[in-house]
Parts: sequence; structure tokens; C-alpha cells
Amino acid sequence: MNGFRWILPLVLLTPVGTVHIAAQTGGTLDVSGRVTIERKAEKLTRKRFYLFRGGLDSNKALVDKLKAANITSRDCFFCSQKTSTAFIAWLKAEDCESPYCRSISTEDTANIPEFQAAYQKTLRQVRNRPAVAQKWLTINLAPNLRDGYYRQRKSMIETLLGGLKPVQTSMTDSVSVRAAFIDIPLKNADGKATETFLVSNLIPFEVGTKSYLWACEVEIGNDKKIILPLKVPETGKTIKNCEVIVKDLPVCTAGVCAPK
Amino acid sequence: MKICLRLFLISLIAIFFALSFMPESSAQRRDAFIHSTADHKKLDCNSCHKNPTPNWVTARGYPDVVDYPGHTACNSCHSGRQFLALCNSCHVSNITPRRAPRFAFPRPGSLQEFNTVFPHNVHQDIIAANVKETGVAVAHFVNASFTAARIARIDDDKPQFNNCAICHQTSTAAPKLIARTPAGQKPLGDALIDSFAPKALFFKDNPSGHATCFACHFQSVQPIGTNCAGCHSPAVPYRDTAEVKRYSFKFDHEQKEHSIRDCMTCHVRISQNSDLKTMVDADVPFLACVSCHSDKISEEAGKRVETLSGNQPAFQCNYCHTPAVGRFPMPPSHEKR
Repeated sequence: MNGFRWILPLVLLTPVGTVHIAAQTGGTLDVSGRVTIERKAEKLTRKRFYLFRGGLDSNKALVDKLKAANITSRDCFFCSQKTSTAFIAWLKAEDCESPYCRSISTEDTANIPEFQAAYQKTLRQVRNRPAVAQKWLTINLAPNLRDGYYRQRKSMIETLLGGLKPVQTSMTDSVSVRAAFIDIPLKNADGKATETFLVSNLIPFEVGTKSYLWACEVEIGNDKKIILPLKVPETGKTIKNCEVIVKDLPVCTAGVCAPK
Repeated sequence: MKICLRLFLISLIAIFFALSFMPESSAQRRDAFIHSTADHKKLDCNSCHKNPTPNWVTARGYPDVVDYPGHTACNSCHSGRQFLALCNSCHVSNITPRRAPRFAFPRPGSLQEFNTVFPHNVHQDIIAANVKETGVAVAHFVNASFTAARIARIDDDKPQFNNCAICHQTSTAAPKLIARTPAGQKPLGDALIDSFAPKALFFKDNPSGHATCFACHFQSVQPIGTNCAGCHSPAVPYRDTAEVKRYSFKFDHEQKEHSIRDCMTCHVRISQNSDLKTMVDADVPFLACVSCHSDKISEEAGKRVETLSGNQPAFQCNYCHTPAVGRFPMPPSHEKR
């Protein structure tokens, strides 16, 4: 009977009718990937952005690391792998960072030595089934050509963050070209209606002959969606609340990568 | 004394009777292999399963695990009657099991013992296609459910987003639909009669086998084909019902204005999702709908308020919802819009 004495308090404490559909609590931020670079409208599609608590000052250590980072460009990475010019041209043609990015046609397989070698290996493995070998050929590509560039960037991001965890990450889509952050948890300390966050791409985006990295602070509140347009400052000028790091991309000539 | 003895004997018989229903060993039920027993958990998946199995050529057409482990895999631990009790796990008949045909692998309708782990974020990063592919069979990946007929239906001006379409194709069969209703809420009235029936092509399907995964992960890229635990985590056994639970059945993926958009335009959180189990509401928040349909949503919300304030039966929202859902109170996300 003793056990029953707990039942009444438990019943009374059980939340009844408190289950609701989760409200969209927290802030909403859209980072627009439509940027004017050297008077040309560019769309930064399928690019990842990271959101951190605090502004430029409180994330100074991170911003300093971003400024100092020497990041291998895509061209230089593949150039250092001694890949064929046909392979690099294939990646560049569709702005790809890995062979997973787009279809490898039978024509590509015939013309690109790396694809041809991988195809032949796969063909033997799948008992002479050309269609399967064509679809599966990346399983026999050299690891560095396959996902080496991705792994290098991932490791660079881990180094830059040094244990710092972003609140959220988001990627720009290819139609509206925006990276949406929703349900951003707000602390609203000191009774402030908004909270300061830092948005950065951490790894520079390559556009033309230059790389671009943004670290911008933004005030996010609970009541309305904030849109952060990315801008590139004119030479010698700055953008308010933003650090924009623009660097020339090294050029790969005859298999050697050198600063421009 | 006699009564005590009689009770003792009856109890003894009852215990033996009950014991006869116990499994042959703690590791097995009579007719089913269980992965989650302590002894089986100690084993590496590859100690029993082989990838590929010798019959892949005829059974699949690509290297895959298409058959049950052989008798040797069981023999090493199980023998005699205990071993015979397992026949029904693989064979359709218990008579001369060695020659009896086996069920298809995996056995259709059997209890699922594993969840599939899939990090969308990693795949979005590495595939990250910038180009829209138009009317072509996507990439060098084996599409999960690719059929020629399906591709033929794609209009020339309709882009097919490379990275999502690798795994998610337009459904050819309507899934079993279940209205998802707001938890803990009471409907404001009886559901109105509604004849709306969504078509199969409203929906996208999921990969149902290894084809899509192995095209990249068969070897070299982890988790590889022999690293089962890289993609499959033990789960409380469940039956895969293929039911689709939705708040809104009226969303048509193939509708022109929807199909020209990138999947991530609405599935906004997908690029940061590392685990299917943590995905919220198929990853489409209400604000994704509002960004285009605010006028119609506001109109219906207005009608709801009007009817309630006029003490009339509550207006049942039907632009996105069927009455099964549209008769419930508006959730906070809709109020806030």
C-alpha cells in the first residue's frame, strides 16, 4: 500500500494537455548568396555558411585565424596530385570540387585518363558489365582525386574552429541562392530584444581568379526574419560589421602552383 | 500433506509446460534469427555475411549481399536440434531444408532489426552540385528507383537536382497515407467529407536497397560495403510499414512551381542534418510554405477567426490540409506567420 502514496502526486504532476506543435521559436536569418563581384552578378550556390554566437569582437580569435589561414585552392590541390589537364578541365567546366558533383558520361570516361583507368578496373570487378562499371567507376579512383579535396577542407575547418562549435550551419540553394537559418536559439541576455551572431563561410569561395571569405556580424531577434546580403568592398574601403577577405588565387603552371 | 504434494506436482507440470515454450537457447527464438542477442552482438557482421554473395550476378546485376549466410556460419556455434530450429529463418520449408528454397534476402515483411544511418550534411557537402541537370538520368550513381518511364515524364524545362535525385525519385505508387494530427490538441469539429486523393507523383521515394550507396561506397570510401555498422545501427525490432505521415497531403512535388525549385529551398535544414532520426517534420518548416503561399494561408486563417468569433462551426483549412488535419486549432507557427 505504501507504494500507492506516490501515485497521487505523480498524477498531479503529470503534464496534461501541454503538448503542442513546436512553435517556430528563435530567430530566422537568410544569407543571400547573390553578390556583385567586379561589377558582375554572381550566384554563390551550394555554399556552406556557419553561424556563431557573438560578434566580430568576441570571435576575434577565429577571425584572426581566418585572415591568416593559407588555404590551398582547388586548382592547386588537383595540380599537386599530378592529375591530367583533362581531369582538371572536367572539374572546372561545371565548377565541381569532386568527381561526385556531376555525371560522368561515357565520353568523359573515354577522354579522361583517370576515369578510363578506374573504369577498366571496375569493369573487371563487376564481371564485364559496362553499365555498372560506368556508374561505379569512382570506387576505383585514386583517393585524393575522389574526395581528397573535401577531406582537406574538412580538416582545415576543424583546425580553424579548434573545438568551437557553430550554433548552426546552412547551405545556399541553387534557385533562391540563400542559406536559411531557422529556429536560432536566442539567449536574449540582459533583456535585449536581439542577440549578436557571426556568419562566416570559414573556407573561402573561389570566384574567377580570387577567393572570398566573409565574417559578418548580425543582430538576430525573435520577431522578424533578417536578411544578410553579402557584399564585396571596393578597393581600400570596408563593409560595416563585416570582415571581407579577398585574396588572389595561386596559379598552377606546368604542374607547379605559385602565387599570382 | 496429500494436498501439498498434489499442488507441488501440479506446479511442477506447469513449470515444465511453460519451459517447453521457451526458446531453444537464449540466442534464438524457434524460427527466427535475432541479431541482438549477447552472443551474436559479439560477432563481426562479416563473420557471417559475405559481400558480395556468389549469386549477385543473377540476383541483382551489381555486387551486393543477396543471400543468407551459409550453414557454416551457424554451425560453428549451433548444432543438433538447436541448429534445426533455425531452418525457418532462411528456408521456406522445414522439410529437407538443405534443398528447400530460401526466402528472398532480405526477407520481405520480416521484422527490421536495424536503422539506417545517413548524414545528409556530409553528402550535401561532397556532392554539392551547382548545375541543374535537365531530363537526364542523374550522375554516375545508380538511382534508387530509376525507371525509363519516370525519366520520360520529366519536362525539358524541369531541372532535376543532381544531389537529391540520386536517392529520391518521384514515386510511382501512392504510399499509404496517415494524417498527422497535432499532438494533444482536440479537433474543433467533425471532419468534413472530402474526396481529395493525392497522386503517387506528389511524393518522392527513398532508396530501398544498397544500389545507390554501393555506387560510391562499395569499396575505398567509408563506410564501405563490408562495414555494415557504418550505415546500420541496432534498433528495437520494427516492421517497415511504408506509411507516410503528413500534416499536408496536398503538396505536389511535381507541380510546376514546386518542381523548378531546388529541394533545399523548402527542405531548409537538410544541409545540416547528420542523422535521419533527428529530422524535424521532413525538414520543411511552415515558413517555407508561407514564403510563397502567404495570401492563401492568411485568407484561410481569417476565415477560421471569423467563424469562431461568430460562434459558427470552425472553418476547416483545406488549401494545404485535408479535413483530418484542417479541423484542428491553428498551431503557434501559423499564428505567428
